[in-house]
Amino acid sequence: MSVQLKINGELKTFESDMPGSLGALLEQLGVDAATVVAEVDGVIIERAKFGSTVLRGGENIELIRFVGGG
Amino acid sequence: MPDQLIIAGKRFDSRLFIGTGKYSGPGMMIKSIEASGSSMVTVALRRVDINNPDDGLLRVIDREKYQLLPNTSGARDGDEAVRLARLARAASGINWIKLEVTPDPYYLLPDPVETLKAAVVLVKEGFIVLPYINADPVLAKKLQDAGTATVMPLASPIGSNQGLQTRAAIEIIIEQATVPVVVDAGLGLPSHAAQAMEIGADAVLVNTAIATAGDPVAMAVAFKMAVEAGRMAYFSGPRGAMRGASASSPLTGFLTEA
Repeated sequence: MSVQLKINGELKTFESDMPGSLGALLEQLGVDAATVVAEVDGVIIERAKFGSTVLRGGENIELIRFVGGG
Repeated sequence: MPDQLIIAGKRFDSRLFIGTGKYSGPGMMIKSIEASGSSMVTVALRRVDINNPDDGLLRVIDREKYQLLPNTSGARDGDEAVRLARLARAASGINWIKLEVTPDPYYLLPDPVETLKAAVVLVKEGFIVLPYINADPVLAKKLQDAGTATVMPLASPIGSNQGLQTRAAIEIIIEQATVPVVVDAGLGLPSHAAQAMEIGADAVLVNTAIATAGDPVAMAVAFKMAVEAGRMAYFSGPRGAMRGASASSPLTGFLTEA
């Protein structure tokens, strides 16, 4: 069964590779967890809880990081 | 007593704050920040490009050396700004925030009503709030009364390099201020920064003028010197302009006198 997550506005479909946690998703995407902040359905997830945050199909995930700005 | 800049109890040895946008790369950015002598640098929050993730800036900037000042750029109203501030705090552990709410994409002028609204919320949540505002003395007073750590009136539109177009209003803001006044946005040349410091601004924030210069490192040094010169001039009792001349050399004892 395929599962979809909306990540930064883009729909991503997972088959057998649905990550078990937010931390696992970051690893799968190649994102350095130490430099990002995440929101799941509008709720900020503390970095310490990335590993224990279980993802469910249909969730809206925002991954945000610092960039240059004035 | 030494001339110290203190914001929210923290001492800053430099009165030049630096933005990190628009640099050709992180190496040039770091070199320029170092050359500027600044110890406060602004950063923005954006979505990770999940198809091409990079590390962002957190790993590049030495946070022992520099106070990171995340901004809420991209916020079009107060609620979005509050959301961005909370994200910035979660991302960095830092509760300092440059509050900016700019609904108009052409001039990027800040929304005073939404800025004040967001400032009240963020101060209540324990943020150290540095609001970016138009040069409006009434708004500046309301913000400082609401508990913001500074006020940051614009010199001219962001990135426009137009210099100190709002001078008269900023003079009033400085006169009434109980918090440091940081002149932000539009300073295109070191002389503009010096002007802001000469009228008593506590600090200036510069990004575009340094980042987009032909030699950003040299321009960073030029701004550093200008800020120091302007500050020194402010304390040196500058004399105002006069309509007529006032001779510097004595008007007596000319050789042609009979």
